[in-house]
Amino acid sequence: MDDPNVMADLIYVAIRVTTKVDYRTVKKLLTSGVISSYRDLSDFGRFKDLSGFGIEKGSSLADKIESFVSKESVIKKVASNYYEIMQKNNIYTVSSLDKDYPYNFRMQSGMPQVFFARGRRELLTHLNTCGSACCVGSREASKYALYAADRFSSELSKQGITIVSGMALGTDRSAHYGAIDKPGGTIAVLAGGCERIYPPENKDLYEELCVKGLVISEMPPGMQVLRQYFPSRNRLIAGLSDCCMIMEAGDISGTLHTASFAASQGKDVFVLPNSIYYDNAKGGMKLLADGASVLLSPDNVIDDVMQAILYRRLECPELFADTAMPVSSAFRGSEILRCRKKADLEPEAMSDDEWKVIIKDELTMGPKNIDELCRVIALPFYRISRLIVSMQCSGIINDENGKFTLTIV
Amino acid sequence: MAKAGRLSKVYSCFTEGSVAVMSEIEVSVMPGIPTFSVIGLCDSSIREARGRVLTAIRASGFTCPKGHITISISPAYMRKSGSGFDLAMAMGILFASGQIPEPTGKAYFEGELGLDGKLYGTPNAVTRLGLSARSDFDYRIIPYQEEAGAKCTQLSCMTAKSLRDAASLFGSGTYFPTCYTIDEKLDEMPEEEYPDISCLKGQEKCKRAILIAAAGFHNLLLLGSPGSGKTLAGRIIAGLLPPLEDEEIPICFAVRDTSSDIRGLKYSRVRPYRTIGPQISLTGLMGSATGLKPGELQLANRGVLFADEICEYKSEIVQAMRKPLEDREAVLFKNGISFKYPADFIFVGAGNPCRCGLFYEKGGRCRCTATSRRNYLANISGPFLERIDLFSEMRSISRSDMEMIYTGAGLKAQSPEWRERIREVWQMQKSRYKEFGGGFNATVRSEDLPDLMRIPFDVVSYATELAGSGLFSARAFTKILRCARTIADLDQRADVAVDDISEACMFRPKEI
Repeated sequence: MDDPNVMADLIYVAIRVTTKVDYRTVKKLLTSGVISSYRDLSDFGRFKDLSGFGIEKGSSLADKIESFVSKESVIKKVASNYYEIMQKNNIYTVSSLDKDYPYNFRMQSGMPQVFFARGRRELLTHLNTCGSACCVGSREASKYALYAADRFSSELSKQGITIVSGMALGTDRSAHYGAIDKPGGTIAVLAGGCERIYPPENKDLYEELCVKGLVISEMPPGMQVLRQYFPSRNRLIAGLSDCCMIMEAGDISGTLHTASFAASQGKDVFVLPNSIYYDNAKGGMKLLADGASVLLSPDNVIDDVMQAILYRRLECPELFADTAMPVSSAFRGSEILRCRKKADLEPEAMSDDEWKVIIKDELTMGPKNIDELCRVIALPFYRISRLIVSMQCSGIINDENGKFTLTIV
Repeated sequence: MAKAGRLSKVYSCFTEGSVAVMSEIEVSVMPGIPTFSVIGLCDSSIREARGRVLTAIRASGFTCPKGHITISISPAYMRKSGSGFDLAMAMGILFASGQIPEPTGKAYFEGELGLDGKLYGTPNAVTRLGLSARSDFDYRIIPYQEEAGAKCTQLSCMTAKSLRDAASLFGSGTYFPTCYTIDEKLDEMPEEEYPDISCLKGQEKCKRAILIAAAGFHNLLLLGSPGSGKTLAGRIIAGLLPPLEDEEIPICFAVRDTSSDIRGLKYSRVRPYRTIGPQISLTGLMGSATGLKPGELQLANRGVLFADEICEYKSEIVQAMRKPLEDREAVLFKNGISFKYPADFIFVGAGNPCRCGLFYEKGGRCRCTATSRRNYLANISGPFLERIDLFSEMRSISRSDMEMIYTGAGLKAQSPEWRERIREVWQMQKSRYKEFGGGFNATVRSEDLPDLMRIPFDVVSYATELAGSGLFSARAFTKILRCARTIADLDQRADVAVDDISEACMFRPKEI
């Protein structure tokens, strides 16, 4: 057991699974100052002397602490069991303390502190910078929905957007296969442990995902797939992505869960239009009636994801600061990131067009005057002004009262 | 009793407006009842010379000839005034009365006499001495106080402190003229130093505009919030200009010694830097026609005219500046005659972009409506704006930059380096426009700019294209070409490139 952090993560998961300690208890412990991060839970010695933290004996919190501290040996055994399975199946943990923890998880409450993953970890970074969309639908979908899932997933993934789905039969399977070989890649969120292939018919897909894509789960390794886990899995699917595509959903369907999670998380829900007389699409049509957006072309989704990324850049620029990050060439924003990287490393080799990309990108984040542009772009004034004028001539930017704005976003 | 009438002839000159006129002074002393009359449309300041001249002659140990003394100052049809003829008159009398042998050859005198025979300088000396230097004289005697004037006009003459000094130079043959030249070690910068261009940290556009304006003699308009450094910018330009050339010194000081006291005229190579504010009167700006006194426009010649708070000016003041800015000369009319003064300067206008001044500031702190802004800027928009080559907005600088400027930490003085570059650019322009009457990129008069300024055909057609796309008006076309030439000069390129046109467009003032 080489990495103590991994063990700490596992013990945290084991405590959550085997004892009654829930996220509220953890939160209380954090605010009272007993622990400074959830990883401190693995340090059982810490809980022997609780005087000085204002936790009275006999209180419910003290009882909870008592209950899991007494189970120390059990917990440790469970954790090492997890570890064994992880080793066997190349599973690793991703924690909220990691740099590549999904931004969308971080921004919402109720998302797991630790989750398990198998496959290409770099997809998580890619997800943060290039955006993602989930593609879900019925297991017994019509040919139309399956075709659409495949088309949309492959189109979006070509543009660098990661497709998130649940590795179920039908729509999910089509979505994963549509995206798997494309630059955006695809991520499957499983209901059980990461090594549990469910449904077993998807063994081929699972194996491909482990190599070319990514499989994640909040459930520890070895956990069985149970019906009651599916809604909480759907919550992660919605939580991980920037917008949600519903291909086909019956009247009573788990897909609707995903849609309502997405909506309550403030994400746009797109529904593929279908016949109103087709029973298996009624749930989706109801969503449309309730005000969901109509999925007409991949451009709808791309615009939506770009919007989300723009806000993310404003909110959290450090996510994008790492120019050494590998960038897939197909992504729309990849040109921007590539130019930024080049401007940092070898500014003298930059062409005018590349600088224009950077100027345009700066203006995307709000109007700027020429002096501000000079400050953020490492070019002498005369070069910037020349670029600006030629952009003005071609109508890309506009001078409004001394500030430059983009005419086309 | 004097012998039969004798006549002597000496020379002096007087000024009318900015020009000097040579005049011949003939003195006749005729036997008869002693009288003293001065003829030739002279005003009372000359007629009063009688008292000064006669007393000074006596006080200097000479005698006043008894008889009719008639002094004629030509050209007789022109009105003259001033006390500068005193010495010439006195010397003429002494020559005519035979107290000093009249020299063979032409003699030039000027200066005012005191009753005790002391010699004083008079205003406009530089203009007069300039004419004297260009004319052919065997003798030139000027007041000692006008030595500075002699230096800047490079006159060959002798100075005298009194009438006796002047008289003693004749007869005994001791006239050995000094060839005055411009002092080698002249102040090139004023005592109070101009700020360095690095003070404009973070205001790249304004910085560049200043450099272009200084390099090509372009007019500049700066609009920005209070405290954004507009006045500073004006002073920086003045500091970037190369010192006055030898031939410019008399031109500059000719106008200056009319208004200030000649007796204390100090000349230097410092280019004029004149500041005007909203309270300036039309006379103060344009000069007074009645007294032919130059105004700020004329005083700023070959230097910088900084118009502070230009939006607050009365409309008539701004409109009055239009013609001088275009023609580069200011004209005064007196009695139906026009007097032209050169007014060739870099105009730097500075003002607020709106009534509260915060229009260009970040964070939308300006609450002015579009209408109120338009009214506020009405004065300087339209025809006036067309005289402006370069426009830059200015904003208050960030706190860290401000700190840097005040502590001077991390700032490298850049002005000396740029001044050197601008001096080179001026030299280039001088040789380029030699055959076109001199001037700068901004001011040279020529029908065929592209040819003269080496602007290739494709660059001109690019500019035409830009004009067509509405980036600037067709009337601004030549301004753009001129600015582009300066930008290319700053880069030391022989031909103007497309990029120079693009950059010049950045500085086009927008119709407000």
